[in-house]
Amino acid sequence: MRVLAMWIFALLTLQGCSVVQTVEPWQKGNLAKPEMTFDDDPLERGYREHIYTSKEASAGGSGLGGGGCGCN
Amino acid sequence: MVATKHHTELGAALLSAAMALPCIVSTAHAESAPEKGTLSFKYLNYKESQQTSSDALGVYGRADSKSGASAYDDRILVKATSSSLVVPLNSEWSMSGTLITDAISGASPAYHTQALSYLKDFRRAVDASVTRYLPNGTLTVGMSHSGENDYVSRAASLLATRSSENKNTTWTAGLAVNRDQINPANQIVLNETKRSSEVLLGVTQVVTMNDIVQFNMGYYKGQGYFSDPYKIYDERPRDRTQQKFQTRWNHYFNDLNATSRLAYRYYTDSWGIRSHTLDAEWVQQIGNGWSAAPAVRYYSQTAAKFYVEVDPSILPFPPSPPANAKYFSEDQRMSAFGGLTLGMKLTKQLNLDTKVDVKLEQYGQKGIWILSGNGSKGLAPFYARNLQVGITRSF
Amino acid sequence: MVSKAMPLKVHRQTFKAMGSACEVVLTSHTQKEAESMANLAIDEVLRIERKYSRYTTDSIIAKINQQAGCEAVQCDDETWALFQFASQLFDKSDGLFDITSGVLRQAWNFKKPEVPTSQKLEALLPLVGWKKVVLQEQRIALPLAGMEVDLGGFGKEYAADRAAQVLKEKGVTHGYVNLAGDMRFLGPKSTGEPWMIGIQDPRVRDQVVATLPITMGGLATSGDYERYFELNGQRYCHVLNPKTGMPVSYWRSVSVTSPATVVSGCTTTMAMLKEAEGLAFLQATGFDFFAIDHTGQVHLRHETQAALN
Repeated sequence: MRVLAMWIFALLTLQGCSVVQTVEPWQKGNLAKPEMTFDDDPLERGYREHIYTSKEASAGGSGLGGGGCGCN
Repeated sequence: MVATKHHTELGAALLSAAMALPCIVSTAHAESAPEKGTLSFKYLNYKESQQTSSDALGVYGRADSKSGASAYDDRILVKATSSSLVVPLNSEWSMSGTLITDAISGASPAYHTQALSYLKDFRRAVDASVTRYLPNGTLTVGMSHSGENDYVSRAASLLATRSSENKNTTWTAGLAVNRDQINPANQIVLNETKRSSEVLLGVTQVVTMNDIVQFNMGYYKGQGYFSDPYKIYDERPRDRTQQKFQTRWNHYFNDLNATSRLAYRYYTDSWGIRSHTLDAEWVQQIGNGWSAAPAVRYYSQTAAKFYVEVDPSILPFPPSPPANAKYFSEDQRMSAFGGLTLGMKLTKQLNLDTKVDVKLEQYGQKGIWILSGNGSKGLAPFYARNLQVGITRSF
Repeated sequence: MVSKAMPLKVHRQTFKAMGSACEVVLTSHTQKEAESMANLAIDEVLRIERKYSRYTTDSIIAKINQQAGCEAVQCDDETWALFQFASQLFDKSDGLFDITSGVLRQAWNFKKPEVPTSQKLEALLPLVGWKKVVLQEQRIALPLAGMEVDLGGFGKEYAADRAAQVLKEKGVTHGYVNLAGDMRFLGPKSTGEPWMIGIQDPRVRDQVVATLPITMGGLATSGDYERYFELNGQRYCHVLNPKTGMPVSYWRSVSVTSPATVVSGCTTTMAMLKEAEGLAFLQATGFDFFAIDHTGQVHLRHETQAALN
């Protein structure tokens, strides 16, 4: 719960603080580059999530899980 | 009058001056279906091994092993192919589908990192989704199905996004439900099921022209059969809840034409496992459509409450679980360890519509690499290398 | 899925932008689809208007003009490309096409028939001169306070091209974007016939002097009848020579078609500015044109016959 509180605090701070600038649509050229987005290679993400969930105990965090598997 | 094609030098000069104007200005328009469809293929070659030697196991070395001998035992080998297709139907709807086939072979330990036994399996998974684009957001419905010899998994999901007027803030909310059927080949259990649901909440915020951050929170709740039927002494709780928190930050360096991508995830669950994951990637544009992206990932997890540590006095035999223990597992994945991945990805944009990429990663997992506290002992260091080759085409 | 056997309907959507009546005309299978595509095109026009207007506070042009005599302003890729384009036009017109000449407007009030004094013009002329503008590392600096840049010379034409590009990417092959006479065509009518476009008579309002058949490309018109006053039988229009500050008077109207509206627009403006040498200039571009000089004489080059009224 403490971690959750930390996250909500960070979120609200970010929303309110002056670090966040209003970026106009014509200034978003760099943000539109694939490497600046958060999911530019879905097939690679698919393999990565599958590999790590079958070798480690943690799962997820950034997206909703697809199907599961009986990975050993 | 028809715009004539017979241009003179002056005419051609004026036209070429105008062609420098951006035809595709990469502005963030109102959410609408992608302008082009995409077809992608990716091949994966994944190979695991473990280092079983007296040196590697330290004081837990096998009594009969030669000192200093560094033997690597093969573990799992996976050859997989996946293909995905994204098709915009019109400016308000798009569809996507992915097909994955895995050919799995190799060896897997029956407990800890001992008693490797051979296995062979084939998995096929398909998922499909439909997205509706609304003036200020999107709605996506997805379904997936995965089947292998002894395991069938079905899932459905709903994801909604909502953007602020200037598209600088996007909220995400998602729900996924899962239903698995387990019928192990050794028939230790019959027709077991596992059900789960997961909720995801997130926000993506544009911070500057060159910075974007994302926060995600996930909550998972599952009931049913969680044990591994192929492992000795494996009896896990019939329920599990998980909480995950993730932060991501991408920063573009104008002068270097490179992007840094950082991510941190904190995970905790009802089995006593807590983990930290730190991802760092540097995407460097090299010119001529090439880019190189070295990446590093560090992972650390505590052991599950019911994990039974290796007992050095009876190695290589499995320790019996504590007498009054209701739950127990000797699965390496439930132990306490740290994991490190080093990878390199090369991408080449062949033309406006085609991109190819190749990625090589090396992963190592060791008890001593844990972030803090005591890592689990007596487990052979685990290694995995994977090679991915992919191609994407827009149409 | 819509059956391809359904007939294509012509959809016309009007809107107001850049101070004028505009429209998007396209053919599509359904009303809903046509509306959503037209709205995307209109959004693009409004985006450009907001970004490059002299008047709106969040426009990059306003920011640059505010910083005249002070700091350089960072430009995004689109704005930088437009300035590079303006630079090329300046070079190819021997300095006649100059986007810093807008400041001369302060001397001319077209609502009053009054010719400014030479002192008034001489005070403003030092503020004109694209050569003085500092362009470096995607930053623009206007060295003297009072200097202004103004994309009015090709802003509407650029917006027409960009809006048409949006439609083109959505697969529109019959239709056009019309921003108060600056038009970009995406293809003929669904019957295959060209659109019949009337050219405004420069001396009689709401009367067409010629009808041109057009299927593809950009059409732009410059004329001395949009903003002007007449004094002692002499017409003074809003197209000003940046070197003298005085309006041009050789041409009553010039219309040009070329593959891009932004190029057609610059060609018509440059022909107006070159006055008597404008005809040779129009011939040299190789583009189709329809021009009426100050005597009322028509000069044209055409691949298919223009129907003269």
